[in-house]
Amino acid sequence: MVARWRQGEGGSAGAGVAVVDGPPPELIFRRVLHPLAMLRELWSRRELIVVLSERDLRARYKQTKVGFAWALLTPFLMMVVFTIFFKRVADVRTGNVPYPLFSYVGLLAWTFFSGALSKGAVSITQNLTLLNKVYCPREVFPLASVAVAGVDTGIAVSILGILFVIYQFMPTATIVWVPLLIAVQLAFTIGITVGMSAMVVYFRDLRQVLPMILQFGLFATPVGYGLEEMPHRWWPVYSAVNPLVPVIDGYRRTILLGHPPRFDLLLIGGTASVLYLVVGYIMFKKVEGGFADVA
Amino acid sequence: MPTSPEGTIAATQIWKRFRADPTRQSFRAKAGHLKRVATGKGRRGWRWALRDVDFVVEPGESVGLVGINGSGKSTLLKILARVMYPYAGRFDVSGRVGALIEVRAGIHPELTGRENILLYGTLLGLPRRDVASRFDEIVDFAQLEEAVDRQVKFYSSGMQMRLGFGVAAFLEPDVLLVDEVLAVGDTAFQQRCIDRMRAMLAGGTTLVFVSHDLAAVEGISERVVWLHEGQVEGDGPGREVLGAYRGALEHVAAITPTSTGPVQVVKAQVVGPDGDAVRTQGPVEVVLALRATQRFAGRVCIGFSEGPASPIVLLRRDMHLSDDEVTARCLIERLPLPRGRYFLWLGVFQAKGELLPWQPAASFDVIGPDLDAGPAGIARLSPVHVASHWDVGRT
Repeated sequence: MVARWRQGEGGSAGAGVAVVDGPPPELIFRRVLHPLAMLRELWSRRELIVVLSERDLRARYKQTKVGFAWALLTPFLMMVVFTIFFKRVADVRTGNVPYPLFSYVGLLAWTFFSGALSKGAVSITQNLTLLNKVYCPREVFPLASVAVAGVDTGIAVSILGILFVIYQFMPTATIVWVPLLIAVQLAFTIGITVGMSAMVVYFRDLRQVLPMILQFGLFATPVGYGLEEMPHRWWPVYSAVNPLVPVIDGYRRTILLGHPPRFDLLLIGGTASVLYLVVGYIMFKKVEGGFADVA
Repeated sequence: MPTSPEGTIAATQIWKRFRADPTRQSFRAKAGHLKRVATGKGRRGWRWALRDVDFVVEPGESVGLVGINGSGKSTLLKILARVMYPYAGRFDVSGRVGALIEVRAGIHPELTGRENILLYGTLLGLPRRDVASRFDEIVDFAQLEEAVDRQVKFYSSGMQMRLGFGVAAFLEPDVLLVDEVLAVGDTAFQQRCIDRMRAMLAGGTTLVFVSHDLAAVEGISERVVWLHEGQVEGDGPGREVLGAYRGALEHVAAITPTSTGPVQVVKAQVVGPDGDAVRTQGPVEVVLALRATQRFAGRVCIGFSEGPASPIVLLRRDMHLSDDEVTARCLIERLPLPRGRYFLWLGVFQAKGELLPWQPAASFDVIGPDLDAGPAGIARLSPVHVASHWDVGRT
């Protein structure tokens, strides 16, 4: 096959630049993505996620003096700040639960989400040098960030135990619902993180905008206050847009108050989370082929 | 679909394009683009990096990939490594691919050498225990010794390269893609890399080797593919394609003697006896005519090379130059060069600096026998023909 040459079209690529006609359309390369094959490949490379998150944890704590204590400090200091301001200034209703306990449960859930997103969103751009040289399913990078945030949250849970002892508080039996809540939160977090990591590659400005969005999200989510502080009729819409709303509310009800989660809201939030996950993941797989081109 | 044996590369009719304008990835640039599209003021320009490239390699074959900068070599390797997707074409690479594209592939500066070996091995798709079982070999090859537990950011660039090559070469890929890595290491390490690649070839690994060191390419690859402006310009036995490639380099390094300096080249010629052809082991004469802007005492250097500025043979002579034309003849009684096309390089120097920069001044062809070919993997640095006589018999 012979390439045909013609002069550059009216000022598009600059005068005098020769433009070649492309390949015949039937040759154009299309990636075929089978959802099952996609997941199978990801599963076969699960060890890579472990090694990558290990790498992130090691690299992070090697440079710092306090080490793993950072994972504790962030939510703990936030709790202190919240206790001083929210409790004193806004007088949040918490039922019979001490406010530090009340806010810490919310903060745990929130720091997991924000930690995963803030690290995961830049995971592709930060690893572009690696992506440019080795093939692997690209979503392992944001997923590793989610795993790292999971480890951090796991460490921070220990403070919750200390708080229980200090306030002589016993978690209630409804705690059995917690795995379901975690599943919903995971789906939402992975969906947003994976989708965002792909978008950041093409819109680098998002890196600057993201901290602002997270800041805003912290106050737009019932972390420092309870769901009761919001108008009742907005609850369903709110849960659909931000599935963390029924999840955080659920954590508090099941762990602290001895109630089951609000299932109607959780159903809305859960459905939305699955949607976020599917859309985010598909979007990621659609554009991942071009990552190396813009690097 | 028939599955090809592990280590096969089958890439046909590959096209790849990039943006011609290096747009910044910002909202502003995107908005500008949308505006141009909306107002119909022209489409975005694309530059073809690969155009209709066929690249098919059998398992265990060793292929050298040559071409000037920007000819598409690295892009092709990235497509073969499945890092990049082509715009059009069909491709299939079966088996595990180990790629050394740029030197520090996959190396993370904050981690130790040990952690990096594990990370890179896992990236290549090996289970942890397989990486662990080859760990000692890698450390041994890369000569890291106790440095393996040091953070990679404290490594010298040579150590980083050795680590990168060691990992890629010892994790037993079915296909090894090597992109211009030998440029960094010292001579001893280069030779060990070549030895290792030869051992892998013997073990059935498919090798694609990109380098500007044509001698190394010739030593490792029986077959050479020459890319030019994104198209295959030549594909065939190494010596043939490399010969054509060297010949084409002449046009790139155009023989245009400079006329701006204090010394000008009026004439530069390489001629055989009585204007006859130049023959291996035959007499040859270099004829120079130089003119200077004023009186100079300078050292005239001439050299023969296959193209690059480093000559195979270098000769020099101190002489006086003036604004009258000075003619110099240098007779070489037995030219030790085998058949091929060569370049005469020329420069005039003084203790203080150069009167005429080192430049190719003429090209000439030598008629004669080819050099004896060595076994695969032995790289010949520069071709020299030595008259020899064998006497074989029982003692």
